[in-house]
Amino acid sequence: METHPKRINRWIPLAFLLIHSVAILIFTRGFLLTRTELPFHSTCSDASLSPCLSPNPPIHHSYSNQNQPKCWTKPVVDRVVIIVLDALRIDFLAPSAFFPEAKPWMDKLTVLQNLAFGNESSAKIFKAFADPPTTSLQRLKGLTTGGLPTFVDVGNSFGAPAIVEDNFINQLVLNGKRLVMMGDDTWTQLFPNQFHKSYPFPSFNVKDLDTVDNGCIEHLFPTLYKDDWDVLIAHFLGVDHAGHIFGVDSMPMINKLEQYNTVLERVVDILESQAGPGGVHENTMLIVMGDHGQTLNGDHGGGTAEEVETTMFAMSTKKHTTSVPPEFDTSSCKQDPDGKQMCISSIEQLDFAATLSALLGISFPFGSIGHVNPELYALGSSSLNLDNTKQPAVKEWMKSYVNVLCVNAWQVKRYIDVYSNSSVVGFSSDDMSRISNLYSAAEHNWSNSVKHILMYNDGNEDSTNTSALKAQIAAYLKFFSSVAELARSKWTEFNLSLMITGFGILVISLILQSLAIVHGDNKPYGVSSGLSTGAAFTLFIVLIRACSFLSNSYILEEGKVANFLLATTGLIKLRYSVMRKTMRKEAFVFLAMVSVLRVSIDIGLTKQAATSQFMSSSPTWMLGLAPDHPALTYAIEIAPILSVAALICVLYVAIARTHSEGIWKYVTVGSMLSYFLIALLWASESKIFGFDGLLQVIGGRNIIPQTVYVIGLVQLFLLASAHMFCSGKDKNWGSRTVALVSACSSPVILLSGKQGSMLALAYLLAGYCIMRLEGVERRTKSDGQNKFSKLDSVCVVQWSLLSVCMFFASGHWCAFDGLRYGAAFVGFDEFVLIRQAILLTIETFGFSIILSVFGLPLLIPSHGEKRHQLFQMYMLYGVISATTVTATILCVTIHRRHLMVWGLFAPKFVFDVVGLILTDVLICLASAFYL
Amino acid sequence: MKEAKKKKKKSETSIGVSRNGSISTVGVLSVYLINGLFLAVGFWVARNRFLVDLVSDPSLTLFLLWSIEFPVVVIIYSFLRKDPEKCSCSKAVGRSILGLISGAFMNALGAIALGAPIGAQYLPKTIHWSLLMSVFTFVPATVVFGASLTDWHRVFASMKPSGNIEHMILVPAYGAIIGGWFGAWPMPLDWERPWQEWPICVCYGAIGGYIVGQIVSLCLMLFLRKHKSLKVA
Repeated sequence: METHPKRINRWIPLAFLLIHSVAILIFTRGFLLTRTELPFHSTCSDASLSPCLSPNPPIHHSYSNQNQPKCWTKPVVDRVVIIVLDALRIDFLAPSAFFPEAKPWMDKLTVLQNLAFGNESSAKIFKAFADPPTTSLQRLKGLTTGGLPTFVDVGNSFGAPAIVEDNFINQLVLNGKRLVMMGDDTWTQLFPNQFHKSYPFPSFNVKDLDTVDNGCIEHLFPTLYKDDWDVLIAHFLGVDHAGHIFGVDSMPMINKLEQYNTVLERVVDILESQAGPGGVHENTMLIVMGDHGQTLNGDHGGGTAEEVETTMFAMSTKKHTTSVPPEFDTSSCKQDPDGKQMCISSIEQLDFAATLSALLGISFPFGSIGHVNPELYALGSSSLNLDNTKQPAVKEWMKSYVNVLCVNAWQVKRYIDVYSNSSVVGFSSDDMSRISNLYSAAEHNWSNSVKHILMYNDGNEDSTNTSALKAQIAAYLKFFSSVAELARSKWTEFNLSLMITGFGILVISLILQSLAIVHGDNKPYGVSSGLSTGAAFTLFIVLIRACSFLSNSYILEEGKVANFLLATTGLIKLRYSVMRKTMRKEAFVFLAMVSVLRVSIDIGLTKQAATSQFMSSSPTWMLGLAPDHPALTYAIEIAPILSVAALICVLYVAIARTHSEGIWKYVTVGSMLSYFLIALLWASESKIFGFDGLLQVIGGRNIIPQTVYVIGLVQLFLLASAHMFCSGKDKNWGSRTVALVSACSSPVILLSGKQGSMLALAYLLAGYCIMRLEGVERRTKSDGQNKFSKLDSVCVVQWSLLSVCMFFASGHWCAFDGLRYGAAFVGFDEFVLIRQAILLTIETFGFSIILSVFGLPLLIPSHGEKRHQLFQMYMLYGVISATTVTATILCVTIHRRHLMVWGLFAPKFVFDVVGLILTDVLICLASAFYL
Repeated sequence: MKEAKKKKKKSETSIGVSRNGSISTVGVLSVYLINGLFLAVGFWVARNRFLVDLVSDPSLTLFLLWSIEFPVVVIIYSFLRKDPEKCSCSKAVGRSILGLISGAFMNALGAIALGAPIGAQYLPKTIHWSLLMSVFTFVPATVVFGASLTDWHRVFASMKPSGNIEHMILVPAYGAIIGGWFGAWPMPLDWERPWQEWPICVCYGAIGGYIVGQIVSLCLMLFLRKHKSLKVA
């Protein structure tokens, strides 16, 4: 009876580890869209590799600025003013005639409408399509790189948002253009060094509608008169913030739009006043654009039409009319009330980087997959046919455009090839061959016919040439659209079937695991009393916690939720202990520890709020003392060391009590030594003990941590070998658990810093109370033979909730900026990826997973024959963890188009999944060690 | 306030409490109605005399609520107290004040363990909230049972109330606590409503739970009486 389940028991956790890994792998393939960031940059000289005409071919005779060095394409505008109005919906700018009914917020930017639909029009309104995720940071990244940013851009350095990929801004700098930026400080985060001048303003406070805008306005007008810049970027945030706070249909929004109208009117006036020959704005392009749209409630981030449809206005200060051949005209027209024709065109934001690069004549960003938009390009290309009167303007424009497209197609193809070869997850070979075929067809046509037409166009203007050019442009556009389609399917669309499959497997594993518990419960003892109160309560708590993940608010305050539930279990236990008149002290101590943890969680939450974009920092607690009060300083220095001393005492008592002999005892003594070293380290780091010189004496501050790690490793090795060579002798796992937990705890405490020892003490006390309170609700009820036989599920739930609370109380939260990178360098100065990653993992999950899984046997008062119960407890612990992860996965699936999916749900998903796998692995190890 | 007290006495006499702790279901109903009435009076005073409500000034409103409700509860329940011969009225009042304070302390500790915000600006709100909770939960019990630990233990911990009075103490008290527990749920949500602040929605939850508890206890009494009469028959 005892040997048979023992053999099976070891395999069951392994089986669940495998099932969970497979499920998570499948789900992740469908959900976490990844894209590899390539470190390559385009340079001007690259263009010679392309089959296209160089921008300075001998056949073009007349240039206004012949001696300026040329890059990939011939520059057609000299300066660009980009005004970004955050969250500019299409109906803010486009005339109300385009929409079913006129709303109060429409037709406010009249100055742009008049310019676009005026008679001497060198301006145009575009409907611009953004790609999700429609959040400002991702959109700015997309606009400047010409790519499709995903959640996990592999190669992105965690934490620092600066763009490492090649981008439009970077190309401008490489080509000697001078940039000026004002407004939203996201730009300076993304491009920390690229701006010649920058006037960033904090975008953090959503409730502040004016600071960024007023700062922008203050610097915008003086800068427009100056000639020390080539590209000006002004990013206004007011509309976005007004939307977030008041919604679209509100007075503040309309006021903002009217304010922008006056600002833009002045900008246009300045530009036009300087637009004469020799003026600073002789050949300037003004672009007013939104980075994304917003819903009527002011939300954005997802992929609904309202969020992705934004707008762009472009105007050249050169008055001219270049019409695009009707084949490439995307405009849709409406009659205004006076019967005048009004047209707006459309553009993809993906194409922005390529088009602007072509307009300014710089090399295209390496990773851009957009193409030069014909209509926007036509707006700027007035200088092409300025003094070339012998050819029709359209014809000349087409020749120039087809050459630009040729370079563009070559660049996109190069990127796709390089990406496919070097990325972690490339494109499928079918897709690659389809794209290659399209490209080679266009390329073939180019080399054989069109190139000659362009090179030898000595006046033989006939319709075949024109149609050949059109066919060539169409071939290129087909290539571009299929590349964009492929990229979107790869980088912006979730694979729902994979996600559902992964979720389904997890649900099945949950059912199997629950069956394993129930089955195990009945076999050895034959006690089946239906659903007991404890089990029902367990189910209730676990389900509440699982359901809480369906709302973003509860995920943000997950620590508080876990604490609330833990305190609830504590109160229930208190009631039972009062009822049974036992363990009342323990119940009160447990509640006190929960209160301590909640204070710690509160502190962690304030830290999180400081960096999170979704939380407002609310100082829910304040100490009366000033932070630099001497008493407080002393307390902060001394308390950790006292707690370490207390931990040493606890270990000593544990050794003395359990009469443990042999190897277990020596391992525990080793932990005491480690604790002592940790206390020594902290004492020497603080100034009040006078141990300052100690670190110099023993040779640097890395010696002690490294010694602690070595002691820990030796302890683990001893434990493993002891288990291998003398297994079966010692059935009492009490001393073994103490040895293992203490061996693991010393590095965890060291890495967690000074709060670590205090938290460990709180953890120990709370765990002790849980152990004492185990089964309090039925202790006297069934005092008979199966007093301890049935699994006490409530105490496992408490242990699990306690571990979640410990995660948050130790100052972590489920976001990448919640990782404490400093912990990776305790004891080491130089960076070795694997070693530092292991240290970071230990620090992050040390209390919440490592110690809690290994410490689970402590919950059973040591009775040697409770092997099966221990197995059940591990299974239950696994089920609880797996349930929460399943809930997270369900939530992520439901909210995959939610505003916060990348900011909140996806990091939570990553943390949970890593935690689950780690839990499963440790449960395997623990069951191999204990069972 | 004095007027209210007078009214109370009048209504008490009209209910007709039989000696030594038993009360008819109609009596319980009228006690509940009076409780509810004075809760409503508290809200009315806050709204019309002081021009505040729970959202705009939680501390003051809670103060008004508990300070109006407390004497009412003390007066009503002191008629129901155990062995009234031994225990004088003034003694009952004295121990009810003691019960109010200690109950508030217990409630505050529980709330803080569950995650109520701590901090200087929340202190008055927490104090007034826990006083109100104490009026709902502890005060009736202290008035009726006094310091009799066995009664407390039997009714609250073991949940084995006997008779209508103990039912009418136990069920609404648990109702208020459970209601408050559920009332805390909307607090973290990002609806940005003023009532999500501590302790407003917890108060609503507790008052709601208290009323539900009253209704449940009434039903329970009716059911038990029927059951008993059936048994007797």
